[in-house]
Amino acid sequence: MGWFLLRRAGAALIVVALASVVVFLGVRALPGDPAVVLAGENATPKVVEAIRHQYGLDQPLPVQYVDYLKQLVTGDLGTSTQDKLPVSGILAERIPVTLELAVLAMLVAIVIGVVAGTIAAARRGRFPDYVATGFGLVGLSVPHFWLGLLAILLFAVKLRILPASGYVPLTDDPVQNLRRMILPALVLGTGFAAILMRQTRSAMLGALSADYVRTARAKGLSGARVVGVHALRNSLTTVVTVLGLQLGGLISGAVVTEQIFVIPGFGKLTVDAVLTRNYPVIQAVVLVTVVGYIVVNLLVDVAYAALNPRIRLAGAADG
Amino acid sequence: MRTRRLLAALAVVPLVAAGCSGTATSTGAALTGTAPYDDRPVRPGGTLTVALSQDPDALDPTTANTFVAREVFASMCEKLYDVDADMKVVPQLAAALPTLSNGGKTATIRLRQGIRFNDGTPLDARAVRTTLVRDLTLPTSSRTSELGAVRSVTVVDDHTVRLDMSRPFAPLGAQLADRAGMIMSPRALARYGKDFGAHPVCVGPFSFVSRTSGNQIVLKRSRYYYARAKVKLDGIVYKIVTDANVRSANLQSGDIQVAERIATSDVGSLSADNSLKILAGGGIGYQGITINTANTRGTDKPPGKVDTPLARNALLRKAFELSLDRDVINRVVFNGLYDPDCSPLPRGSAYRDPATRCPKRDLAQARTLLKRAGVHTPVHVNLLLAADSVTERLGQVVQAMAKEAGFAVTVQPAEFVTALDQARAGKFDAIQVGWSGRVDPDGNLNDLITTGGSNNYSGLHDPVIDDAVHRAAATTDTAERARLYATAIRRQEQLGGVIYLYHERYFLGTSARVAGIRYYADGIPRFTTAGYAR
Amino acid sequence: MADVLTPARLAPAATGSGRTRRMWRRFRRRPMAMTGLVLVVLFLLLAVVGPVVFGDPTRIDFGHVLGAPSLSHLLGTDDLGRDQLTRIASGARVSLEAGVLSVALAMVVGVPIGLVAGFYRKHLDSVVMRAVDVVLAFPFLVFAVGLAAILGPSLRNVVLALGISQIPAVVRITRGEVLAVREQDFVAGAIADGATDRTILTRYVLPNATNALIVQATVAIPGAIIGEATLSFLGLGVQPPTPSWGVMLTGAQQFLSQAPWLAVWPGVMIAATTLGFNLLGDGLRDVIDPRSAR
Repeated sequence: MGWFLLRRAGAALIVVALASVVVFLGVRALPGDPAVVLAGENATPKVVEAIRHQYGLDQPLPVQYVDYLKQLVTGDLGTSTQDKLPVSGILAERIPVTLELAVLAMLVAIVIGVVAGTIAAARRGRFPDYVATGFGLVGLSVPHFWLGLLAILLFAVKLRILPASGYVPLTDDPVQNLRRMILPALVLGTGFAAILMRQTRSAMLGALSADYVRTARAKGLSGARVVGVHALRNSLTTVVTVLGLQLGGLISGAVVTEQIFVIPGFGKLTVDAVLTRNYPVIQAVVLVTVVGYIVVNLLVDVAYAALNPRIRLAGAADG
Repeated sequence: MRTRRLLAALAVVPLVAAGCSGTATSTGAALTGTAPYDDRPVRPGGTLTVALSQDPDALDPTTANTFVAREVFASMCEKLYDVDADMKVVPQLAAALPTLSNGGKTATIRLRQGIRFNDGTPLDARAVRTTLVRDLTLPTSSRTSELGAVRSVTVVDDHTVRLDMSRPFAPLGAQLADRAGMIMSPRALARYGKDFGAHPVCVGPFSFVSRTSGNQIVLKRSRYYYARAKVKLDGIVYKIVTDANVRSANLQSGDIQVAERIATSDVGSLSADNSLKILAGGGIGYQGITINTANTRGTDKPPGKVDTPLARNALLRKAFELSLDRDVINRVVFNGLYDPDCSPLPRGSAYRDPATRCPKRDLAQARTLLKRAGVHTPVHVNLLLAADSVTERLGQVVQAMAKEAGFAVTVQPAEFVTALDQARAGKFDAIQVGWSGRVDPDGNLNDLITTGGSNNYSGLHDPVIDDAVHRAAATTDTAERARLYATAIRRQEQLGGVIYLYHERYFLGTSARVAGIRYYADGIPRFTTAGYAR
Repeated sequence: MADVLTPARLAPAATGSGRTRRMWRRFRRRPMAMTGLVLVVLFLLLAVVGPVVFGDPTRIDFGHVLGAPSLSHLLGTDDLGRDQLTRIASGARVSLEAGVLSVALAMVVGVPIGLVAGFYRKHLDSVVMRAVDVVLAFPFLVFAVGLAAILGPSLRNVVLALGISQIPAVVRITRGEVLAVREQDFVAGAIADGATDRTILTRYVLPNATNALIVQATVAIPGAIIGEATLSFLGLGVQPPTPSWGVMLTGAQQFLSQAPWLAVWPGVMIAATTLGFNLLGDGLRDVIDPRSAR
């Protein structure tokens, strides 16, 4: 376990370092820089130069990168060029918003996906299976943003029972917060529900035909108990894997969902930062995403092993 | 008075537009902006949530550049001067308009007494000097060029400052009625320095409480404001909602009480909603198509030779303009709610040439000009524009119109910052771009069509224009200035560096319960006396 | 896209026309798969002949702005008076191009990398896999927005962004196939007989990877079609006046309360096309690798 973690940490460090170089050079390859954006209508060459100097953008690239690393080591993510607020503070405001959206969406996905998948497998080839499978396919095929548009059209414009968009912090007013999060979470969760449903169904089918489940049945355990305890427990491995694999998709999905429902989350921050050439924020956003991705994958592997002790960690670490 | 007339005229426009475009929802919709100031008595208390269309930059008057920041400043950073409903400069923190002496090269400004900043510090001549010196000397200051002619600031006594200038400078009053005139608390400046924008303290009806990036800015009623009896609201929350449709939806659902820049496509349906009001403002800026005539290496470099058909021949630029129908553009793209025009100066400006007549669309003439220029049709034009759906719609309409005259327009949308970058660098044939507008006419011409101006994307470099614009800035006689600007604008029209198309209007949507908002042609809503009607 | 593919471990001799015929027979018996095939064929037909049959999708008619569906305009008109049906037909071609070209790009780049990484293992392999990790961990939208800023929002930008984001999956699948095939007896035999690396790669490894890659393509193409629509919807992709289903939905969003019909059909088309490819993909997987069919 210790050796495995150490090896993973080493690989992770390399990935983070590579990503930081890529994004550092990448943002600077974009046409226009924060100085031009900030100077706006008053962009005389002198002002632009002064702003570039203020953010150290007049330094040679290697110097800028070393300065950036030095800052990072002390835990300083820099200052947003747009509003001159500390980037760490901005992230602390935005990440919980997206996490809430992601968690709610995942709940939607897990509840719908696992239940539908389990029922479909238990009733294989019968009506519930067809309904669930059909839902799975349609859910996979409908783009998030269109679903979002239709949801706004139906619930906000026609029925007027839910707000079209906006965000109220959970700490300010939990009820209003949830009212505004229902549609985005449903929209974002549906696609993942479909994926989970398909995976759960096929994993359950596999588990149900496995020897130990047959043994359990032979021992006289009821069908529901067999499905509920034995097969489901084993299928959770699949679910965990899929969740890990889908994290990237979830984040991209959250960006689009946040854009449609105007939720001031991490995704919207990302897009806005690129559009305003807010270098410090872009760099921080990428860094956080990469680290988040690695951590979640690590957790997935650990959970994998915990749920299914027959899988050895060394094997899971490969590729 | 002028605003009143404008609004009355506007109230009629949507009826005509609705009749033409056939959009069901806007039929019969009229703007309820005929009374520019809703003077119903307001009750004390309440918070107003105002949706802004963009995230402002740092709230530091010395460096700020966004329009939305000016809207926030209007509630918390008063200025030496302000403009009234007729866009005339009037005293705000100053006691009177500047007194000019020394042939117009010295301005003496007397301050009002008994005024305190929102941290309790008294406002005096030294504070004004500290602010103006910061505006003039901070390297990242965007005010330096605005205060161009000012050389030194002297404290005459506790309540008088003297500005010495290198030349007579007519736009001074107007500049001090904008960000350059916002006086910052010297105590806050000493404490926060460059970080003032994160903790802004000025004189104003409301004081800064907090800001969460990209989300909201919270202000509360000031304890120290000199006219605090007039301020009824407990506070204002500026929320950043970038999508125009969402601003409308949130206004309708009652989540917010005020939304700026309602989309023209929503104005009709919102006006029809009894629980809402639409106020029309704005109009001092302009939008148009800038044609690259000599910008080869950037606006800060000397002009060069641009090798595109439009750049080579002024006849083609004229033909291009004649192929466009400003009224149809307004009707199709903006529901007929904007003000089609061919001058950079707003209608009703005292400096505008009364003889201004915009050419009507004339396809025959356009084709004749093309023939006279002896070019093969179609003439290829690459039209750069910002990639947002309204601007792209404008581009497509231009494309369709110009095609009939013999131009093959390629619409090239670019992400906004990229477009800006290419415009400055001269990497474009033609670009759809505009200007938010300044109160003084100098702000709509100088730097935009004068040689070497950083916003002179076309690369115009004409002695007639330069001379007229510079001389106009050095005169205070209105009639003389008007004459000079007419000369410059007519010359620009001959050269065809910029094809002015229309003046944009801003529509402020408010809940019908809210009264006391002032909304002028500068497009900045003022909430000092606003509140919920009794 | 998440479907974990089981590598099809087949001997080289198993490919051939007889096998194809057998697979087709099995395929034909699956109604879902056949539905998918029909949907995909209809889509291809629309993409190829649609623009010819329906005419110019950019024709503006200022007299019929935001018209409701009627006999002259079956699906209504948009904010510039353009016929929706015509634009939907043209949009199919954009979707097809985005789907096929991006997947092709991912294959052309990803397959050789996967082959080499899997075959020569050791150092090269770990370098490649770390690079793949970076691409996987890098937020896709930052990449797409950045690319749009540099290259300008366009179909080319979409194809590049989607193609590059697909590369890791292709590399992993190819590499997995290589690793599996390497251990097979017939490859060990060939190596013992002194076959060159190139022969082994092209004669034994690649043919076996083909099946998995075909299945991957049927999963990736609909993903790319949705991706194109999403990027165009966000203004990063295909630009007006070119009609893309995503662009049409962006326009529709502005007129949601005035012209809700504009928001329906482009979405239905995206969903139907994607569904078709998904059904086809499921069917193909079942026939090609029967053990995964449960």
